[in-house]
Amino acid sequence: MVLTSFASSLIDYRHYLRQSVARDLKKRYKRSVLGYVWSMLYPLLMMAVLAVAFSKILGSTVPDYPVFLFVGMIPFQFFSTTINGCLGIIGANIKIIDQVPTPKYIFPASIAISNLINLLLSLVPLFLIMLAFGRPIPWTALLLPLVLLPLFMATMGLSLIFCVADVFFDDTRHLTGLLIQSLYFLSPVLYGPQHLPDWLIPWVQWNPMFFIIEMMRDLLFLGVLPAPGIYAFSFLLCLLYLLAGLLLFEKTQDKFMYFI
Amino acid sequence: MSMIESANTQSSASVTSGLPAVEVRGVSVHFRSYVERPTSLKETLMNAVRKGRLRYYSSFEALSNVSFCVPRGEVFGIIGSNGAGKSTLLRVIAGVLKPARGEVIVRGRVDSLLQLGAGFDSELNAVENIVLNGSLYKRSSEEMRARTPDILKFAELEEFAFTPIKYYSSGMAARLGFSVAIDRDPDILLVDEVLAVGDERFQKKCRAVFDRYLAQGKTIIMVSHSMGTITSMAKQALVLSKGRALFCGDPKTAAEVYRDKNYETRLASTNGAAAVPHG
Repeated sequence: MVLTSFASSLIDYRHYLRQSVARDLKKRYKRSVLGYVWSMLYPLLMMAVLAVAFSKILGSTVPDYPVFLFVGMIPFQFFSTTINGCLGIIGANIKIIDQVPTPKYIFPASIAISNLINLLLSLVPLFLIMLAFGRPIPWTALLLPLVLLPLFMATMGLSLIFCVADVFFDDTRHLTGLLIQSLYFLSPVLYGPQHLPDWLIPWVQWNPMFFIIEMMRDLLFLGVLPAPGIYAFSFLLCLLYLLAGLLLFEKTQDKFMYFI
Repeated sequence: MSMIESANTQSSASVTSGLPAVEVRGVSVHFRSYVERPTSLKETLMNAVRKGRLRYYSSFEALSNVSFCVPRGEVFGIIGSNGAGKSTLLRVIAGVLKPARGEVIVRGRVDSLLQLGAGFDSELNAVENIVLNGSLYKRSSEEMRARTPDILKFAELEEFAFTPIKYYSSGMAARLGFSVAIDRDPDILLVDEVLAVGDERFQKKCRAVFDRYLAQGKTIIMVSHSMGTITSMAKQALVLSKGRALFCGDPKTAAEVYRDKNYETRLASTNGAAAVPHG
């Protein structure tokens, strides 16, 4: 089964993954002047700009709009940086692939893991903002891993699909940028699902980020548990994305050598 | 994947039964040479709609129905002119390239010295690279750190342990690559023109390692353009020409076959029938 062989590869290559992730995080945090602060400044600044621009439009319907916005940005940031990071990852590691018989998805997986750690780190500024707005951090925040699992699965699956496309087609990068941008506006990052027209809802829920963001808000913003039905649907949908990515990757990976 | 029988129990059992270390059976590898392949999705779709065309390659056989056996505990040479398929064959045996047809049976742990130091990160220093490279073979950082002094000592790079690889000369990087690979102690070693790098003293060291390996009953498959190396070290040699096995057997005869002026054209007359399966 693709899923079990993927999981066992992650375990087999844990030493590689740990080193690769550590190297990536070191690059991100140590080699810039302000390190961690700098990399957290980017989402904060984004949030500030967006909050100023949109609070007039949506602020009246959503209390503490900046916090609402930031909670939505965190999973989407993970989603988009991982997919973008996986473009070109096969080319960057082709010398290793040419020399060592490794399962090739450990390279995109290492990107996803390092971005996941980054996501956890960005919870610190979130909690600070929540405190600044006088909102207590809800106990449901402890259940975050339950949502991070489907988020990781869907992101991994789509990353693998775009990673494969990037090996075969030069313009994947442009297309991916366009798709992620569209998905950003079709995801409830800036707004809540209540702001969408009813006819659109059945369509946008196939976007894996739709319910993930909703559930993140349940746990971190509203302090309630996600509805079990929604959780189950979202989990299965994300699992499907992962399976699709793994199947496509496994089917095409033997050809990578000929195209790079 | 090619069928790989590994595990040490398997290999020790096959020593007694005298099975060859590597069996290559009817292996073909097709490279597609893309003449005017559209490299973007946009063009691909547009051409598919306009011309109804989806295939843009002519298939060319880098290896064509190659069969041979490599007995355990010997040096096996592979010779042939540029583009004959030697490196492709080593990649297939190493398991990084999947053959289109045929199978490769490898009995024991195989390790390759294809391009020395190819898997190194030039930003990292020798110690970090040793640990990183080990992790690609599922070895833990602790284990690799313990092995580092020996690896550096053999490579004679102790002084440069903390110098990023990008400042290394090609010979230094090759020495490190060689040391890292032999430290994994494989049962079957694939060697691609390794003896051409490094100075004479280091080459002597490499030969000493090869001799030790052979004494331990390990197998070495080497590609070389030097007939001297092949005739002096190999027990058997395979001559490749345009992806076909032309001859397999005594290295001196193999060298003669290769040196024969008609070596490339002989193929047409024999029509590849000389691909002697040997065992």
